[in-house]
Amino acid sequence: MSGDEECTGGDLLTRALAGERAAFGALVRAHQRLVFSLALRMLADRHAAEDLAQEVFLQLYRNLSAVSSEAHLAFWLRKVTMHRAIDRLRRAPALERSTPRAALEEAAAVASEMQPGDPLLERRLRSLVTELPPAARAVVLLRFQEDLDPVEIARTLRMPLNTVKSHLRRSLAQLRERMTETADVLI
Amino acid sequence: MKVPFSGWRWLAAPALALAASTALAAPAALLNLPDFDALAAKATETVNISLDTSLLSLAASFLDSSNPDDAATKELITGLKGIYVRSYTFGQDFAYPAAQVDQVRRQLAPPAWQRLVEVSSTKDHTHVQIYVSADRGVANGLAIIASEPREFTIVNIVGSIDLAKLHRLEGKFGIPKLDLPDGKDGRQQGR
Amino acid sequence: MSEDQNLERRLRSALGAVDPGEDFAPRVLARIAAEPAYAAPPARTGALVSWLAFGFAASVVLAVLLAHEWQVRRLEQGREARRQLIEALRVTDEKLSLAYRVVNSREGTAPPEHSGA
Repeated sequence: MSGDEECTGGDLLTRALAGERAAFGALVRAHQRLVFSLALRMLADRHAAEDLAQEVFLQLYRNLSAVSSEAHLAFWLRKVTMHRAIDRLRRAPALERSTPRAALEEAAAVASEMQPGDPLLERRLRSLVTELPPAARAVVLLRFQEDLDPVEIARTLRMPLNTVKSHLRRSLAQLRERMTETADVLI
Repeated sequence: MKVPFSGWRWLAAPALALAASTALAAPAALLNLPDFDALAAKATETVNISLDTSLLSLAASFLDSSNPDDAATKELITGLKGIYVRSYTFGQDFAYPAAQVDQVRRQLAPPAWQRLVEVSSTKDHTHVQIYVSADRGVANGLAIIASEPREFTIVNIVGSIDLAKLHRLEGKFGIPKLDLPDGKDGRQQGR
Repeated sequence: MSEDQNLERRLRSALGAVDPGEDFAPRVLARIAAEPAYAAPPARTGALVSWLAFGFAASVVLAVLLAHEWQVRRLEQGREARRQLIEALRVTDEKLSLAYRVVNSREGTAPPEHSGA
């Protein structure tokens, strides 16, 4: 581990604000998993996710003075990543979403190989998450990937709390139903 | 009763009706926004934007007319003379003093300004006021004051803006379509 | 464990963080370095020339640099103005949408007549 990673996040932020490029690089390394993972799960495309993740950090570089603390930095990165991802999805062609027929065929392919606790089951689950509408997908990712509570999700996405809870409830029901379809195909 | 969503008619029509009935004197649509530096120091996030005519013109020159979204934005701001935004987000509920917000509200008084919309949600502790300024029956300014538990926002638009066109840009520049009815024909989401 | 808890456990496991790789950060820094506004100032050369020629060459270089600097600054100002414009429009629409949501929510009510300006 380099000397930079051993510094606290607050130290890195201060040094990055002072114009130290290496400190900013360390900030990127410290948070790249968070940003890239959210982008990847939202866009379901590695190249697009990397492109978006780079843009997020470029935007951070330009707006570093707006970040007041390490905790605020994580909030800021999640917020910007999700808003940019949702914006991209709104503009992406509808063909990117799998058709019901294609989804069922994929379910059959996965079901024929999977066992309880199998990574393929998790792959199927990840695939189903990417089929959720953008807003619901964002809520699910912030809840189960980032472990945010509904109040924090509401703040990040600037969404009413009741809407967050509603998205969670309906998304879990939809995922449960689709996973049951997968099991039915196996049977 | 649900308000139909399509075309922002829920807001644009009353705005036009109100403008038509307003007295003749030319109002100052530009608000005198107080110095919010003390608040900015406490805020976790700040948006502080002041774009006058020359900066709007500069911004417009950097909009790519061959890009449909940029072209739509360029068309939207054709009648604008200024747009000013002060938005502060805090780590705690109601960390901002009402007095400073009231200082802005006091400027939004008749005959120069007319309140178009004022709504409150006791559940979400949200309060939004929208005002319009008019000169000889033509709306020439818009002001929005939005108070939420951890955020307050003031928007002042000088000049004319088509709210329906603004809303058509939703989803283009990071405005997530998160909670509004599906489609633009006023159909309501089933709940 | 209930079915819901089982699904949530599986979701947490399935949605683990993914690393973009060791060369991600260097690529970000490379993009920053490539932006005209953030490019390092040109390195000084140490060529030995006569003072007169050096003065003339220096003034030409200075003029070119100033013109370039002006262009770079203008470019950055324009991009920043565009960015701020889009952000301002975004916030405006967000707050109008907020008002709409409140109007159409079950809890939305018009406040008492004495409030507001």
